[in-house]
Amino acid sequence: MGSEGGESRVVVPRNFRLLEELERGEKGIGDGTVSYGMDDADDIYMRSWTGTIIGPPNTVHEGRIYQLKLFCDKNYPENPPTVRFQTRINMTCVNQETGVVEPNMYPMLCNWQREYTMEDVLLGLKKEMSSPQNRKLIQPLDGNDDQRMEQKGFVLRCCIL
Amino acid sequence: MGADGDSGDSSAVGGRADSATIHIRCSNGSKFSAQTSLDATVGDFKILLAEKCDVPAQQQRLIYKGRILKDEQTLESYGLESDHAIHLVRGASPSTASDNIAANPGATTANNSSVPGRDVDSNNGGVSGDVGGGAAPLFTGLGSNGPFGTGYTGLFGTELPEFDQVQRQLTQNPNMMRDILNMPAIQSLMNNPDLMRNLIMSNPQMREILDRNPDLAHVLNDPSTLRQTMEAARNPELMREMMRNTDRAMSNIESSPEGFNMLRRMYETVQEPFLNATTMDGNTGSGAASNPFAALLGNQGNTGSRDVPANSTATRLDSGNGSPSPNVNPLPNPWSNTGGTQPSNTRSTTLGDARNGGFGGLGSLGIPELERMAGGIPDASVLTQVLQNPALSQMMQSLLSNPHYMNQIFNMNPQLRAMMESNAQLREMLQNPEFLRQLASPETLQQILTLQQSLSPLLGRLQSNQFQTTGVTGGAPGEAGMDTLMQLFGGLGLANNTNESNNPNAPPEERYAMQLAQLQEMGFLDTQENIRALVATSGNVHAAVERLLGNMGQ
Repeated sequence: MGSEGGESRVVVPRNFRLLEELERGEKGIGDGTVSYGMDDADDIYMRSWTGTIIGPPNTVHEGRIYQLKLFCDKNYPENPPTVRFQTRINMTCVNQETGVVEPNMYPMLCNWQREYTMEDVLLGLKKEMSSPQNRKLIQPLDGNDDQRMEQKGFVLRCCIL
Repeated sequence: MGADGDSGDSSAVGGRADSATIHIRCSNGSKFSAQTSLDATVGDFKILLAEKCDVPAQQQRLIYKGRILKDEQTLESYGLESDHAIHLVRGASPSTASDNIAANPGATTANNSSVPGRDVDSNNGGVSGDVGGGAAPLFTGLGSNGPFGTGYTGLFGTELPEFDQVQRQLTQNPNMMRDILNMPAIQSLMNNPDLMRNLIMSNPQMREILDRNPDLAHVLNDPSTLRQTMEAARNPELMREMMRNTDRAMSNIESSPEGFNMLRRMYETVQEPFLNATTMDGNTGSGAASNPFAALLGNQGNTGSRDVPANSTATRLDSGNGSPSPNVNPLPNPWSNTGGTQPSNTRSTTLGDARNGGFGGLGSLGIPELERMAGGIPDASVLTQVLQNPALSQMMQSLLSNPHYMNQIFNMNPQLRAMMESNAQLREMLQNPEFLRQLASPETLQQILTLQQSLSPLLGRLQSNQFQTTGVTGGAPGEAGMDTLMQLFGGLGLANNTNESNNPNAPPEERYAMQLAQLQEMGFLDTQENIRALVATSGNVHAAVERLLGNMGQ
């Protein structure tokens, strides 16, 4: 919401900001093409969030559902949240190993302004998917939401062995 | 908005009492709503959705709060609530979805049939009855559920065969109600008094009530009453708020010892006079519309029937208080502003009424109890007794502590609004919950009462004066009322030096030190901005926060 601009004189406290984002996520207010919500309803600091991006049409991402984790530390919204793809995706700004969206590759995170919301982040990523350098990239086989988890477990198991 | 269809489906499939409206947003941008019970599984819900969109259940992917919903989980387990939005995507490959759901269809149908749709009815019947009828047994005459409950039934019952189902849907889904009421067709219907009358009269139940109680018929024949009722009904928040407040107030009163008897007595002794007063008031009120105070007065009577749920409490309250104490003074009778009861001195009573009305008008903003009580009880001891009832003060607190509710009441009453618009200071005071709370405090009430009593002989004199100089003061009653009102406020100020509105000289940092600290705690760190907001909202923290956040949004 705050993104549409104008410099605002009032600094909205973190809690109010996050509560507003929570409501927008639950009710699907706003653009409505991305979905997001809080992981743990009992976390009074509202840190851990899940977001979903539906692959934009006319790209390799069409029909795919990408799940992401967003983590808002205590400095949000002064600082950007950390964003990590849980679903495997081949994208220029995403670390192939960890799924983390690299802030230095993704302008919105490195030029963060406190008016940006998680919705903006998700919409930005969606837009990024249909950018020329990303829309044709070969993607892993169907990006099942459990995949990266599986992989992690596999690595863990290997380590234990 | 196709809501009718939805409701039918949901009761067939969901079939449980706590149904919720879920908004579905498809990936192609289209939207629709569905009703389901929240303990249904996602798989069931998908089957329900498959009937409404062209995506088969196996290909549906539902996303809520950024999570993909799994078929075997219940909707509730994801924290879904009514009015929330779910995204629906057509899955690229049915395989992932289908293995989850494969075993399910048989089970789901069994599930559906095992829940008979009918057993819902008893529950919901209870709900809708409750809504209007928290006070019903005591109050059938005036019908606190008259305009509300019967309003709908009269309207919709005549047109639709399964009206109790419709009514159920409506009470459960206030948004739908609002949609319906906002439809131009319905609007024009409301504005046509003849049609409304016909509708009401064609309902035998309703007609019976009206026959038994001709005064009520007057009220219902007044198109503006109907409109106002509908306005209240159209605003789900307001309606719910009113219902809840009435219910709570009633239960509070009833649970206090003797409370129930008091209520009964009130009903017996004052019901009839009140009804008389109400209708007569309507006439004088509209005649005096040019004078805000006189109009307020008329209103005061009328609100009794219009804002029924809120004021019904009040009526009952004051009536009990009024009955035991003999009234020696000639004037302070709140009902006396009817031309009918004291026809000889209608002219002069305007002043006396304006006084009561000024105060009563205040009360009718949201403290109907206060208004009635203060106007109706000349005997301080009775008042004290009542005021010391903790249940009562609790009730008042609950009414007063909600600025939203207050605002809505302000806005619902056109005369009041006009008055407030013409007098910014008054508005500021009235919107300050702190002020209202103080107004409602027992000490203050007693102060007011004393003031009022000391004023009444004076008033008698004034009255006779005015009687002689009717020509001169013809236009004056309003001003005189204003003066008196100011006096009342002045008295308040003396009684409560802490009242900010009367103490504008201190710098805002000092005046609002407590509120500032609260804002700081909430995380609003810009002191200057906070002060500005607090000044603008007269120290109302809640409104200040709204304001601060509102600035942000623009």
